[in-house]
Amino acid sequence: MTKIQRIQKILSGLLMLACTILLVAEPEIGLYVVALILGVSLLLSGLRSLIFYFTMARHMVGGKATLYQGIIVLDLAVFTLSMVDDPHFFIMLYLLVIHAFSGVMEILHALEAKRYGASAWRRSLAAGVVNLLVAVGAVVAVVFLHSTADLVFLYAACLFYSACVQFVSAFQKTAIVYIQ
Amino acid sequence: MQKDFHYYATYCAAFIAGYSHEESLDIAYSAQFVDLCSRTLLSKLKAPLSAATTQLQLELMNARTDLVGLQDITRIWASFHFLPGDLRAEGPEKSGRVYRSKYRLICKPNGDLVKDTVDLAKGGSLQAAGIAMHVLADTWAHSYFAGTPSLVINNTNNYFYELFPSDTGYQEKLVDFHHTPGSPDDLEKGIYNNSIYQGSENSIMNLGHGRAGHLPDYSFIRYKYLPAWANYEEIIKDNPHDYYYAFCQMVYALEFLRGLIPQFETGRYAIQAVSPYEEEIRQILEKRQLDACADWKALGEKLSGESVEDFDLNKYQAAYMALPENEKNKSFLGRFFLASLAQKSMVTNKIFKSGNLLAGFSVDYAENGFAGIRDFFKLIEAFAEEARHD
Repeated sequence: MTKIQRIQKILSGLLMLACTILLVAEPEIGLYVVALILGVSLLLSGLRSLIFYFTMARHMVGGKATLYQGIIVLDLAVFTLSMVDDPHFFIMLYLLVIHAFSGVMEILHALEAKRYGASAWRRSLAAGVVNLLVAVGAVVAVVFLHSTADLVFLYAACLFYSACVQFVSAFQKTAIVYIQ
Repeated sequence: MQKDFHYYATYCAAFIAGYSHEESLDIAYSAQFVDLCSRTLLSKLKAPLSAATTQLQLELMNARTDLVGLQDITRIWASFHFLPGDLRAEGPEKSGRVYRSKYRLICKPNGDLVKDTVDLAKGGSLQAAGIAMHVLADTWAHSYFAGTPSLVINNTNNYFYELFPSDTGYQEKLVDFHHTPGSPDDLEKGIYNNSIYQGSENSIMNLGHGRAGHLPDYSFIRYKYLPAWANYEEIIKDNPHDYYYAFCQMVYALEFLRGLIPQFETGRYAIQAVSPYEEEIRQILEKRQLDACADWKALGEKLSGESVEDFDLNKYQAAYMALPENEKNKSFLGRFFLASLAQKSMVTNKIFKSGNLLAGFSVDYAENGFAGIRDFFKLIEAFAEEARHD
């Protein structure tokens, strides 16, 4: 990793941390902020697809599909941003899908690691269970408790975790030693 | 390639090159172990995790695909399974730096890195020879795919035909790809598994030959397809031909490692040494079967007159774990881990020196001293130990 990449990771971690604090301090407006973040993320994803097409996928057999995908996602981003007034559904769906998938993957990994007798399986299992709990929590917060604040706190916790991952990653040793 | 080639065929190649039965078994074991030495196994053995030569499917699904994660994946797969053919390839006109970096990791046989790999194993352990044979053989099987996640390089589309030799040339049959991991390919019906299409450039699904399923790993198959990177130019892959050359090159490389040949050169093969067995080998390679272990094993036993034991993953684990920390490098697995660290270190350095950062940073110890991942300190200790003995 270059120094600039490490700095980028630290800045991105700090930004996530700032968002976490904002969400916890002001849960009233927090939900709108979260919806805005998701809408903007979609917008950036569409732009990223277009950049990907012009820098790389245009050399690829069938690469035109990336161009069309970028345009469609951009459209979707605009649509999402126009619905920021009722964001419960979007955040719940986001938390549900992302964490349920990660949870299942972690648990499968833990089972495989256990079969090999590796000690790391407990950590994977714990991570998988936590991810599944977050997904379940998102559904409970919206469907059963109708609690906007709980949903915001849940999202804030996930954001905090992502910030920590960025910090750890920024300080990780990554160079390979070459001995002739 | 699979166990049939990496274990049993490597045993045959080593024996033809003049190694003893026991030495051939050690080389073959090491060659096959490359496909099994995952971080999960290493953590169980409390061995250096950087010695990993492969990633389990679920390790991959779990792997980070940020910059650091991708570099880690690339180091493993480009060093041991998809050795780049030309680190200075030009690529398409007006392509950007990132595209070119990926393009330059496309695996092909007879590249400079094959020579570097074999040279690195020279004078080393039998485990180093085994690792080199795995890497060399895979350059033939995995040609035209890259050991880094990349949609723009590794993707394939519906234009994918199996070719059957006929009197008039080849008959074509459209390959029917399914996405049911774990279920075996159906040779009769021509149904093969492959990884599902993922539009994301760095998705794990786009690593290596996943999009072409196991076809590159079968010695009997011939097929044609449109690789993502070749600007709609069709590639015909003739595995029986390629696997035969892979075998002959292994024998040639092993003769070099034994000191029978002064220099290893790319593009040269031990055609003469293998010729007495050519017919039998070609028969095995052409036989339409998912697993050719039994046939290669029979050939190996015929060659040496000894029983070739089946590959046992647990064979050396207890011995490694029983040794105290300062003795581990002398064990079978300890030597394997040192050789794998050396191979990974060398390939990463060559990729880095070519201006390509996809495999991460490489710090030259001779110039800058030790910095970076601590596991590699084992290499310095091993070299120091070797120097003391010399």
